[in-house]
Parts: sequence; structure tokens; C-alpha cells
Amino acid sequence: MTGGAWLCLASPLAGAVLITLLGTSVPRRVAAWLSTASVAVAFAGALWAFFSLRSQSGHHGEITTAWTWLQAGNFSAGMQLLVDPLSTMMMLIVSGVGMLIVLYSIGYMDGDDEERRYFAYMSLFVFSMLMLVEGGNLLLLLVGWGLVGLSSYLLIGFWHERPSAVAAAKKAFIMNAFGDATMALAFFILIAHSHSLAFGTSFTTVTHLSPTAANLVALGLLGGAAAKSAQIPLHTWLPDAMEGPTPVSALIHAATMVTAGVYLIARTHPIFEHARTIELIAAGAGALTLLVAGLIALVQTDIKRVIAYSTMSQIGYMFMGAGVGAYASGMFHLMTHAFFKALLFMAAGVLIHALGGEQDIRQMRGIGRLMPLTKWCFLVGALALVGIPPFSGFFSKDSIIASTLNIGWYGKVFWASGVVGALLTGIYTFRLWFIVFPGEPSPFVREHLHKHHGKEGPWTMLVPVGILAVLATVGGWIQWAPRWHYVTTWLEPAARTLAAAEPTNTQEYVTSAVTVAAGLIGIAIAWAVYSEETLRVPAVPALRNLLEHKFYADELYDALFYRPASGLANWLTRDLEEQVILPTGPDLGQTALDAGGAASRVQTGLLRTYVFFLATGAAIVGLVFLLVK
Amino acid sequence: MLGPGTSWYLALAGFLFGTGALGVLIRRNPLIVLLSLEIMLNGGNLALVALSRHWRNGAGQIFALSVMAVAASEVCVGLGLVVAIHRRRLALDVDRLSELRG
Repeated sequence: MTGGAWLCLASPLAGAVLITLLGTSVPRRVAAWLSTASVAVAFAGALWAFFSLRSQSGHHGEITTAWTWLQAGNFSAGMQLLVDPLSTMMMLIVSGVGMLIVLYSIGYMDGDDEERRYFAYMSLFVFSMLMLVEGGNLLLLLVGWGLVGLSSYLLIGFWHERPSAVAAAKKAFIMNAFGDATMALAFFILIAHSHSLAFGTSFTTVTHLSPTAANLVALGLLGGAAAKSAQIPLHTWLPDAMEGPTPVSALIHAATMVTAGVYLIARTHPIFEHARTIELIAAGAGALTLLVAGLIALVQTDIKRVIAYSTMSQIGYMFMGAGVGAYASGMFHLMTHAFFKALLFMAAGVLIHALGGEQDIRQMRGIGRLMPLTKWCFLVGALALVGIPPFSGFFSKDSIIASTLNIGWYGKVFWASGVVGALLTGIYTFRLWFIVFPGEPSPFVREHLHKHHGKEGPWTMLVPVGILAVLATVGGWIQWAPRWHYVTTWLEPAARTLAAAEPTNTQEYVTSAVTVAAGLIGIAIAWAVYSEETLRVPAVPALRNLLEHKFYADELYDALFYRPASGLANWLTRDLEEQVILPTGPDLGQTALDAGGAASRVQTGLLRTYVFFLATGAAIVGLVFLLVK
Repeated sequence: MLGPGTSWYLALAGFLFGTGALGVLIRRNPLIVLLSLEIMLNGGNLALVALSRHWRNGAGQIFALSVMAVAASEVCVGLGLVVAIHRRRLALDVDRLSELRG
């Protein structure tokens, strides 16, 4: 069991190191396949861990310690891996979807100048994420957390000759570093109280803390989770992260990184349950994010940005689920979302690849007739995203919305926002669909479409898309909350759903009906507006401006943080640096030079003067001794 | 104790040391300067040996021996320098060898 976990962790790291060390001595193709193989081995390891855990009675999992990694005073942390239902589920998702994405990259990145660097980063990214989910104590989790931030920085800024990519990478890194810092502060509180960051000790320690301290710990963790998962107020990095290559977007937004926040809440749920207010704030942030992101997605014209905002919105659902205590529903949605969101990104990537890098949906009109396979795969992803049965999103999203019903008045608010979110999802997803695919191909498409040997793309790109289309369809069937709950049962030893977040069957049915209806209405609206053009978008310039500027979040942060800081820096340059420090430097230097010049006169270069001084000095010392005695 | 008293020896040692020091100070030929240095060292040695006898303690004699060893090596270096200066046809005058002037 633990062998599988170690294999799963070590293989992508070995892949990254090997590609780096081999460098230019192997062809690019070899580097690409090496990376794919390393992630495939990781997936095999995850399967091994999963099946051996399943055969264990009660499948509680175990922690394996390889060596003591860190020892400081009475604090110590081991190099530990945790194999339990939660971590194996994440291992399967990360390595499985990751494997498909790396395979897809082979086709997508073909011909790029720096393919080897790309694939080394991809392996590193998968390793970081596996480190995060497998880490057997909070410190190792933080290690993975930081490594994910680093590798996302490297990948978002992969095309480093583009200034916008570099800026996006920095933005993502800084926002994530903020989250890392709040998490580290939370860990300091835990260490101060228990000298340990082991999961079990930390969870029992929290119950001994004062309510304020427990809330602070949970708040620190929430800060990390919100930054990594791009939840309001730390969400602005995610749409900009679309500057990276499309497979990177798929990896960041589907299988890894943004789901880490949901995993963190599920993993540390005893802490959050002890600070219930903070947990509900997490749910509230999720509810707010899913609405805001859904609204912004309505007006985006970049195909990847629409999908990026839909990611934010779906992660909002997961946060809402995990926040109210329905950890299994949140994790289940995380899994189905990994399937259909990777599918959507990769199908979009096929279009972008065929159009030579064009991402504007208004240019892509009518591409569906020329790319039928991509069209149908994208439709599967879109239906799964909106949550239309029998596609996977239906099974996972509805239980999250239903689970909010029993937790007081704010639960009703969460429920309503979830339903409105479903409506928005229907509108923005099918706005994208109706603009891009149906109808006559536009002149731009006819002119720029380059098929790959008469096919829609190389097989390395089409096969992962096909597999994910199947998974996005059937992936949700393993759990239908009112009837069978394989995921909930599986996760019970690691993250048992709170009693308050368990909806009755009636609530499930009603919620499902309402949500599906909302989704269908959304699709109908999108159809009427963008396909039939019988409905016009009401012209409200103020609202449109608000949405196109993403609720002015970037502008707000600019005014709140960047402007004061740069203003202060400019003032310091102008009034302190130039007026005081700059003149002082040369003055100091000149003084030292003068002093040195004066002192150097003593060095006459004449041996006899030196001897004379020496003799005189010795004579004086001798005299002093004689006299004082 | 046979022979003159310790103070005579010390006086002679002081005289030797003073002569050497004067030589180092006023002579400009590096060869003579080295010679004067040797005289100074020997003055010191004489004082060491005399006091060693005075206190009936062998340590002073050992010191004198090591001073001789150091003096021998120092003369090697010094004479080597003098030869090197001569070979490069530079003036054998310590006052003109003043490249280290600040």
C-alpha cells in the first residue's frame, strides 16, 4: 500500500530530474515521453495504493515514516506519507488526469523551442501536487503547497518572451505566497501549542486552544486555501494564468492546484469544525465567488478566459460544499470537475492549435462543421459543466447545493446562490457553444484553419480528449446521493460528512429538479440570444462595464496596494534617495579618501624611518616600564 | 660562579645591541644593514645566555638556539635579496629602494 504511494510520489520527480540532467543529449520527443511515462507510473502507483487500501478492512489508511526529516528543539517532523481514502482519491485524480494532460502536451507543444524545459516543469508540477496530497503531516503539506506555487509560476510564465505571461506568473506567485504565509502563521500557532504538525496531534490540539486561537488557525488555513483555489478575495490571478500554454491551464484548473484548497479543507476538517464560523465564511466565499465568476464569464470573449471563470465558479461550489460540511460532495465534484474541465480546456486547445493560436471566440464562429469530433467532445464537457443528466456534473453539483439546506438561514442563501449559479453556468457555457460551433464557418476560420494531416489534431491530443469525454459522461455515475453513495462511504474514515450537511432524499430530488431546470433555462436563454438572435441582450452599459472590468477587483487592488506602495517608493526616491542619500555617499567616500591620503604619508618607503620609529617606540615602552615600576 | 658578574655581560649585550641598531639606522648598504642586524641579534643572545646562567635555568639557552636558527634563515633570505637586487643592476642603497612609499 505504502509502496504504491512512494512510487507515485517518486516517479514524477525522477522524471523531472532525468529530463533536466539529460538535457540536450536526448531528442525532444524522448523528454516528452519520459515525462508522460513518469506520470503514468505515478498513476500505476496510485492504483496500487487504491486497491490495496480497498482490500484493507475499514480502509482507515496508514501513515508511513521514512526518516526524521526535521528536528528543532522538541519539534520534529518526519518524511511521512499518508495513505487514506482522501489522499488516494486525490492521487488517482492528480496522476490520472495529469497523465492525460501530459500526453496531450506532446501534440500541443510539438515544435516549441523549449519542449524539454516544459516537460521537466510538467513532471515537477505533478510531483508537487502529489507531495501536497500525500504529505503525512502539515509541514509536508506546506512543502507541496509551496512547490505547487513555484511550478505554477514556472509554467504560467513558460513563454517568457511575452511580457504579459511574465506578469501573470508573478501575479499568481505573489497571491499564492500570501496564502502560503497565512498558512505558515496558522502552523506556528499549532507548533507553539503542541510542538508537532502531525495531523492527529494538530486536530486534537485545536480543541484545547482558545476559541480566538482556533479561529486564527482556521483563518490562516482558509487564507491559503482561498489563494490556491482562487476564491474571492484572492481570485484575480487565475484568469491571468491563462497566459500559459493551454495544457498548463488544463493542469492548473482541472487536476491540480486550484483543487488544493478544497482538499485542504477536507483534510483539516477537524480544525474547521472547531472554528465553525470560519468554515461558514469559507462556504460564503465560495457562494460569492461562484456568482461573481459566473457573471464575469458572461462577457468574456477569450475562450480560455470563459473556461477559467467557469473554473472559479465551480471551485466556488466545492468551497461551499466543503464549507457547510459536505466534504464528500465537495470532493466528488472536485473529481467530476477534473474530468469535464480538463476536457473543455483540451478541446479548446485543439481549436486554438488548429487556428494557430487564435483565442477570440468571435473569430472562431462556425468552426464546428470543420471540427466535428472536437465539437461533440466539447458539447459533452459543456453539458457536464451545466449539470444536465446523465453527464457527471449533474451528480456532484446537485448534492452540494442540496447539502446547504439544513444549516440555518444562510444555508438558504447558499442554496439560492447555487441555483442562480447553475442558471449562469447554463448561459455562459452555451453562449460559448452557440458562438463558436454551429453555423457557417467564418472567413477567418476558413482562412486560418490548419488541419493536422487531414485530422483535427495529432492522435496524442485527440486520444486524451476522447478518454476524458467518456469520463466526463460516466465519471459521475459512481454516486447518486439519493440512491447510492460510493464516494461518501469511501471517504467516511477520512472526512465524514457533518450531520447538518446531509440532505434528505426529498431535498435532493427537489434541488436536482430546480437546478436542472435552471441549467436548461440558461441554455435556452443562450440559444435564444446567441443562436436564434430572437432575444437581445439588454443594453445596460454600466453593468456591462462592471462585468468587463471583472467587478474592478484588479483596479481596487491596484488602488489599495500597488499605488500606495509605488507612491511611497517614488516619494522615497525623490525626497530621500536623491536629496539625502545620494549626496551623502560621495561625501562619505571623499572623506575616507582624504583620511587615507593623509595616513599614507606615514608610509615613507624608507627602511630606516621604520626602524627609527620602531626603536623609538620600543625605547618609550621600555622607559614607561622602568618609570612605572 | 666563575668569571665576571652578570651585569658585565648585560652591559656588553646592551653595547652590541646599540651598535647594531645604530648600524641599521645610519648605514645605507643593505649588506651592512644585515650585518648590523646580526650584531643586534647576537647582543640579544648574549643577554639570554647570561641571564640563563644567572637564574640557573636552561630555557634561555634554548631561546638563544632558536634565535640563531631564525637568524640563519633570515640571513639566507636577506642575502638572497641582496643578490637579486644586484643582478637586476639596481643601486645597493636602502634609501633608494622605497617603492612602498604611500
